[in-house]
Amino acid sequence: MNIFENIKMALDSIRSNKMRSFLTMLGIIIGISSVIAIVSLGQGGQNSITSEFEKIGAATVKITVNTSKAEWSDWITFDDVERIKEKINNVKYASMSLTMDGVLRTGKKSLDAYFIGGTEDMVKIEGLTLLDGRFFNRYEYQSGKAVAVIDENSAKRLFGTKDVVGRTLEAGPHDSMRKVTVVGLIKSPYEMFADMIPEDQFPVIAYIPATYLVNLYSEQKAVYQIYIMADSKDNAKTAGELTVRFLENRHGNRDREVYRAETVMQQMDQINQVMSIFTTFVAAVAAISLLVGGVGVMNIMLVSVTERTREIGIRKAIGAKTRNIMFQFLTESVIISCLGGTIGLILGLAGAYGLGQLAGITPAVSPQTVIVAILFSTMVGVFFGIYPARKAAKLDPIEALRYE
Amino acid sequence: MIKITDLVKTYKTGDIELTALKGVSLHIKPGEYVSIMGPSGCGKSTMMNVLGCLDKMSSGQYLLNGKDISRLSDNELADIRNKEIGFVFQSFNLLPRMTILENVELPMVYAGVPHKERRAKALEALSKVELSDRIHHKPNEISGGQKQRVAIARAIVNRPSVILADEPTGNLDSKVTEEILRIIQELNDEGTTILMVTHEHDVAQHSKRIIRMKDGNILDDSPVENRTIL
Repeated sequence: MNIFENIKMALDSIRSNKMRSFLTMLGIIIGISSVIAIVSLGQGGQNSITSEFEKIGAATVKITVNTSKAEWSDWITFDDVERIKEKINNVKYASMSLTMDGVLRTGKKSLDAYFIGGTEDMVKIEGLTLLDGRFFNRYEYQSGKAVAVIDENSAKRLFGTKDVVGRTLEAGPHDSMRKVTVVGLIKSPYEMFADMIPEDQFPVIAYIPATYLVNLYSEQKAVYQIYIMADSKDNAKTAGELTVRFLENRHGNRDREVYRAETVMQQMDQINQVMSIFTTFVAAVAAISLLVGGVGVMNIMLVSVTERTREIGIRKAIGAKTRNIMFQFLTESVIISCLGGTIGLILGLAGAYGLGQLAGITPAVSPQTVIVAILFSTMVGVFFGIYPARKAAKLDPIEALRYE
Repeated sequence: MIKITDLVKTYKTGDIELTALKGVSLHIKPGEYVSIMGPSGCGKSTMMNVLGCLDKMSSGQYLLNGKDISRLSDNELADIRNKEIGFVFQSFNLLPRMTILENVELPMVYAGVPHKERRAKALEALSKVELSDRIHHKPNEISGGQKQRVAIARAIVNRPSVILADEPTGNLDSKVTEEILRIIQELNDEGTTILMVTHEHDVAQHSKRIIRMKDGNILDDSPVENRTIL
């Protein structure tokens, strides 16, 4: 009595009850396919976040002021930003990122907009792509010139054309707007959301020298958040720590731990952690349906044992041992769940790619996922098959033969 | 061959205790052809079950080919059933989803005989019962007499020393009965021990020795005179 005999017998039995076997498998199919789809989409989402972050720059560090502890004198001044760049060797670029709500107005249109104020380094730190003209330069930043860089989407909506370099528009809070000159056009930073949001609902944005922006809004030249970029990815952490120490020295607040440095990679890890907790949770919910599928397998196997009581009696009479009967039924339940698992795997992958196409995510399928799925469905077959198989194996041959 | 001494078998159903065999002793020598007769409830089926190692006795001793059966485990009994005993049932008891050939091969599957040898031996057994065509059909596609011949082929395929036939012709008409009895007689002529339960006197008349039972005891045990030979 070998394993192939068992497999052949099990397949015969599954084949002679096609509909029933398929319905039994359905639970496993649904369970495995949803787990596979969720896990590979989640993994794919994490991968795309990682690559986005790497594009922005793995060398970027965010320096924040803990505003709940800080006094006004602790805030990072525009002068601090200049000194950081000047004094700390590892820091290549530095900029504040100051955002203000306001309005942009041309001859024909007036739109709500965000103004983002920074130094001339912002183009590097944010990884912006210039399409036309140039970013505002060091001179324009230091002297607080009324210049702006806008993205193509905003250009089209404000001017109706992408040919905007050299044109002027009015910018500022709606009650005190001033003329600024467009010096550059950049690619829209929101392009990757184009699948989810219509383009005419993208935020309208303009990059403006922070020195001019605070002037426009009558604000102070101090911020609670800046970005620096180290000369290499490996130096990011060191550059962040040096910057924090430098700021503490300048503000004389070393003992209060007001500043915090966080690399972009650390931020990404946090997002990925949240993502994977979410993925795991949803996958766990889907795995419950596997459990339900397993109960279905057990149920059908119990019916099958009862139906085939006489067959079991005959087999025992002609010499089947307890373990022969046991393995016969166990093989059957394992094959049902394995087959269900395999179909579920294929459907799950198809679903992941289908949904991924809609959501703009490339699903990531790891060999581990596939192996775990098949292994898990096998285990479901063994776990839920063992009780019916034992029941069959323990039948008394005389009573089984008498069963009608 | 078969030697039972003081065989007692009691069944317990709830509080009621029923003694089906009340100390039966019996000796069957190799090559014998024995009929067991008696009214229903006389204990003949119970005796067949015990002799067939399907059921365990309550007390007494059972020697089969010199081997003490009384103390064997379930799996050892399965092995005895597989190699030493061939069963022929009144209702044929073929497996409906398997072909004729597969049904005959089944005891060898459990005996661990390799596939090729199995096929050859099954075909040999089938030719012995004169059934060489339709072997790839399912049991529900052949007649009752053919089914019983398949069952006999299955019983003899592992070359057992004894065949236990429980009313083998009970479901068959007289013409087919004769065919089956002729095959059984041939097997006996070749040296296989036959033990047959029947309630038909005509059928028992084919055997060499008749044991009559009543109320769990042997009433009479005598050789057959004027035996019908086919």
